Amino acid sequence: MKALDWLRQPRMPEPWRDPNYWKETGWAYVYLAPSLIILGLFVFYPFFSAFGLSLFKWSTVRPPGTYIGFANYRYIFNDTYFWRALAHTFIYVGISVPATLLVALLAASLLNKPLRFLSGARMSYFLAYITPVVAVSMVWRWMYNWQYGLLNHILGYFNVDLINWLGDPKWAMPALIIFSIWRYVGYEAIILLAGLQNIDKMYYDAAKVDGASGFQVWRKVTVPLLTPQIFFVFVISLIGSFKVFTEVHILFGGSSGPLRAAETLVYYIMSEGPLGGRWHMGRAAAASVVLFAIIFAFTLFQMTVTQKRVHYQ
Amino acid sequence: MRRVLLVLLAGLLAFGVFAVAQEAVSIHFLHAMKAKHSVYIDELVAQFMAEYPYITVTTEYGGSYGDVEQKINAGIVAGNPATVTQLYENAITPIAEALVPIEDSLTQAEIDDIIPGLRDSATVNGKMYSVPWNKSIMILYYRKDLVPEPPTTWTEFFLMCQELTVDLDGDEAIDRWGTCFRPYNPEIFLNFLHQAGGTLLNEDWTEATVNDDRGFLAMDYVASLLPYALVGSDYESDMLAANQIVMFVSTSAGASYNISAAETVGAELGFALAPQGPATDGTMIQGTNLCVTEKGQTQAQIDAGILFVRFMLRAENMAYWAVQSNYLPSTYAAYESQVWKDAVAADPKKAVMADAMKVGFGPLNHPAYSDFRYHMTTRWEEVILGAKSAQDALDELAQDFAQYL
Repeated sequence: MKALDWLRQPRMPEPWRDPNYWKETGWAYVYLAPSLIILGLFVFYPFFSAFGLSLFKWSTVRPPGTYIGFANYRYIFNDTYFWRALAHTFIYVGISVPATLLVALLAASLLNKPLRFLSGARMSYFLAYITPVVAVSMVWRWMYNWQYGLLNHILGYFNVDLINWLGDPKWAMPALIIFSIWRYVGYEAIILLAGLQNIDKMYYDAAKVDGASGFQVWRKVTVPLLTPQIFFVFVISLIGSFKVFTEVHILFGGSSGPLRAAETLVYYIMSEGPLGGRWHMGRAAAASVVLFAIIFAFTLFQMTVTQKRVHYQ
Repeated sequence: MRRVLLVLLAGLLAFGVFAVAQEAVSIHFLHAMKAKHSVYIDELVAQFMAEYPYITVTTEYGGSYGDVEQKINAGIVAGNPATVTQLYENAITPIAEALVPIEDSLTQAEIDDIIPGLRDSATVNGKMYSVPWNKSIMILYYRKDLVPEPPTTWTEFFLMCQELTVDLDGDEAIDRWGTCFRPYNPEIFLNFLHQAGGTLLNEDWTEATVNDDRGFLAMDYVASLLPYALVGSDYESDMLAANQIVMFVSTSAGASYNISAAETVGAELGFALAPQGPATDGTMIQGTNLCVTEKGQTQAQIDAGILFVRFMLRAENMAYWAVQSNYLPSTYAAYESQVWKDAVAADPKKAVMADAMKVGFGPLNHPAYSDFRYHMTTRWEEVILGAKSAQDALDELAQDFAQYL
């Protein structure tokens, strides 16, 4: 019986019968047109084009070359270095994304306190993000220098032996992750700070009346009410981290680290493609499609599962 | 009257042909030479335009060799590449169809004047598609204060590296090494391989021979040097300036950087032929070639591009360019020119480089060479970082090559 209840409900007026509906819809599309055109040209067309390219053996002289079906996919799935690059990418994303978020959350909480030189502190956090990645990567390359670098110099005070950050395969990935956390923590902290400042003071007052401790307030009030910003930052940084390339390329002087220890999926894509003059654009496109599928699956998972834990009010 | 008319008609025709030949044409020269060298390119271009006033050459610094290669490839796909460009031989081979087979436009004298090894590496399917232009060769650099006489054989080099590797401050850690190896520079392995008498592939390119006895001899020699070699990604000049290395085999193109680096530690740098291996003392010739693109060009642009390349190939221009840029001439006539002879008399290191060129070898001009180099880099790094034995790395390299043969 209940299944048919909807039949007894009064029917909603159909919106398209309203003459204003088409007018409003038309205007909506006019406003959306610029971004749709840009997205179409620079996102959707390249994506479908890349998928098409992945089915060809590339020829620069006669693009796109010879149709070879799914041979490029077979090649990359049989290539040890593809799986290694994928594993490196998951390690990088799995550590750097939550670690950056955690540090950013702590930094935002600190920056939300009435401190001296607060604006200077906020700016210094953000500076790392707005400085061009090539420039900061070069600076970190010097900081990581195993003989003269600042990092080893500081560690020397704690009797830590010299670490060959960029030359030892064991340390290549940690070096990349540390650099990445430093670079993105400011950006994420600023977004979280904006969220923190929008939390109504009454929640804190209520918690205080209930006798909650500082940590309890942070865990039970601040974090839940900050979930929209945390969710946003999480999605954005996850997508960005899967695409890491420039940091690797500059930090390791145009390579993917010793014994390719920091070769990420985008680096693999680039090395199959134009980097090093190999021009296997079909293989590069196939690996790009796989990367797209991974990011798409993760984003979908976040949208459906994680979002249930997001409190918008 | 008829005769006058005929003369007038002939005159008009001749003028017409002349006018067509002199039609203004613009060409684009995309190169990878930074400001220091591009000054001399601009001088040569100015001379060329003075000689051919109807041709305008626009020069553009396109970034590194890799950047220029990417721009040319993208230009070919888009149908508008630069008319003349500078590329490695192995970057030319895969796009030869889009280039002018320049051999057809050179005189036999011009072809014969090019050093044979360089001519071979510029040849694709039996025809030269480019001409060698900015060439360098691997030579031995050594600190004269620590090495009175440079080593001339592999054995001498090994023994001297052993002796020169020292702990300078008594902390039981090595501070200065006899030599160095860089992970992303597999060309040094090609030197050893060639000197051991080995090759990457057999003669008809059907089988990888890199893992045969001669290949093993070369890689095993590298492995034996590892305790006395600083392995790092820094440039040799940086290691030299930090007083970390004493001698190394590297490209002659880096001579000015290496001289300055040695000066920072108060040392004078010596130059010599690379130590001789069991088979030969030849080292690898590196550097790029000039080529003219056919795709996206008008016939007038192609003709102007060919004229420009031939102009650069002339003995006086080749010698001038080599002297100013510290690259090495690629034609016999340039070596015989007074400009070059004067330069050698004033700078003895140029004589060492020229001697090295006589026994040098060019890169393998296989269409998949970029792939070979990619795999060589991986395996070379595995050996010098101690991750794989010489034989294992070579066997895997042969398997890597097999997929392209």
